[in-house]
Amino acid sequence: MNGRERILTALEIREPDRVPLYIHGINEESIIGIGRHVMDGLPDPKQFHDMTEPERLKLLEALFLIHEEFGVDGFTSFEINQLRDLDATHAVDDWGVVYKRSPHGIPVVCGHPVQDVAALDRYTPPKPRREHLLLLDLARERFRGEKALFWLMRGAFVLSWRLAGMSNLMIEMHEDPGFVHRIAEMTTVFNLQMLELLAQAGLDVLVVEDDIADTKTTLISPKHFREFVNPYNRRLVERAHQLGLKVVRHSDGNLWKLLDILLESGYDGLNPLEPQAGMTLDRVKAYCGDRLCLLGNIDCAELLPHGTPEQVDAAVRKAIEDGGEGGGLIICSSNSLHPGVDPENCIAMFRATHKYGAYGNT
Amino acid sequence: MTRIEELFDAVLTGNRDAAVEVARRALEASVDPQSLIDDAMIPAMDEVGRRFEEEEYFVPELLLSARAMKSVLERIKPLLSQKGTSHKGCIVIGTVQGDLHDIGKNLVAAMLEGAGFEVVDLGTDVSPERFVAAVEEKSAKLVGLSALLTVTMPSMKSTVEALEAAGLRDRVKVMVGGAPLSTDYAEEIKADAYADNATAAVRVAQALVGA
Repeated sequence: MNGRERILTALEIREPDRVPLYIHGINEESIIGIGRHVMDGLPDPKQFHDMTEPERLKLLEALFLIHEEFGVDGFTSFEINQLRDLDATHAVDDWGVVYKRSPHGIPVVCGHPVQDVAALDRYTPPKPRREHLLLLDLARERFRGEKALFWLMRGAFVLSWRLAGMSNLMIEMHEDPGFVHRIAEMTTVFNLQMLELLAQAGLDVLVVEDDIADTKTTLISPKHFREFVNPYNRRLVERAHQLGLKVVRHSDGNLWKLLDILLESGYDGLNPLEPQAGMTLDRVKAYCGDRLCLLGNIDCAELLPHGTPEQVDAAVRKAIEDGGEGGGLIICSSNSLHPGVDPENCIAMFRATHKYGAYGNT
Repeated sequence: MTRIEELFDAVLTGNRDAAVEVARRALEASVDPQSLIDDAMIPAMDEVGRRFEEEEYFVPELLLSARAMKSVLERIKPLLSQKGTSHKGCIVIGTVQGDLHDIGKNLVAAMLEGAGFEVVDLGTDVSPERFVAAVEEKSAKLVGLSALLTVTMPSMKSTVEALEAAGLRDRVKVMVGGAPLSTDYAEEIKADAYADNATAAVRVAQALVGA
């Protein structure tokens, strides 16, 4: 099997030849740290935004090589070049959401263009832009069907709070539900249009990235989730399935309160299964491993930053024991390979998946 | 239902307009403003905290209640200073240098205000020097440090060290919070306590300053 077949088989809750391996997200520093094991000439760690064009090409080459050399079966793409600089530290996206650039990772939202009904009445949402799919196009040309192509699409909750402000949106769930619905609808129309472009561009797996929980519980009640978030994201799931794509739901945190709702919504997979948030693999596998492919769970909060390669090896082995039976497991870190992770530990995770992941059915 | 009970209910259910109106009527009837805080709003926020811990309330409900309490507090604060009544103490809070995340920190600030503390929120990306200056200026009893990123956690250590170097450490307590943190890390950097959510932060703050 090639990587694409392996991933798609696991997402159908069947056993591939071995447990697939996937990187959900990875920052520049980690690409460079891991990439130095597979190529020379990479720049010192810095943000993509601050790199020269040749440095960016090197970074991209390193990212592709990491997937090839370490046998990572799926490749994650997302919108790039969608931010326009406002000044030295601030940028704005097509929605008018303002970000502050951080030296330690992705830019952080700091300005919300649609904070009330009057602003919403005046607001014109953007249209998806085909040129923002550049990374997906490059990956498709590079891997030519050998690896599954994933796309990170922010869901209704994240897009809505970016537009309205999180506290504001949450208060309006009580005080002006119509406002919250209008924003969610607007983001969903955009996402559905984007989905058509993605399917035409050869996507395999849509990841609905919509963080809704912290390590203890959900940010909003299940009732609010059912009203303001899930129906919108569910339309993405339904359309993606019509287009022949698989759909993975990504949310940080403890999702136990929402798991039944997610199950009934038709997702094929769940990511990233944070162990610190009670999403232990054996428990989730026992609850719904026959209906939902599980992607993640290798701890990136403690283990990958501060553990040893031997400990990582043992954790991957245990994850495969706990979650691999019958298929439906894809090894991945419990969130992004952020700048704090140790590259040696990431490599240990890749290697251990190959070492312990064989199903013995070929 | 007494006015104190009405105010308790209004804050508990996050009804800002009702809370402000009840408080206004209570003050007209010469109810002691401090009693509105001590007997109605702080017990209401305690109950909000309990419901949050029990997962009956979630962040939106917490925000609504905190906003209702804050709206009343803003109106009765001038009366409190006239009478020479004080709050539970001043807490300086902020997200540490290099880190721009503020959702958790904002929630903690709202809950601490709801519990009757004066909160000085320095925002995000706050240098150790700014924390030190604010603690000195406000004679704060407690500093709350927040971080979301593993890579910015060392800024917490630098801040604790800066407070030490400024000779303030023996009169200000330090509590830390944020997704990648733990009690172990708090001990490692010589902070006084770690809180794992906004309501725990209130309990920790009360314990640390004896409020």
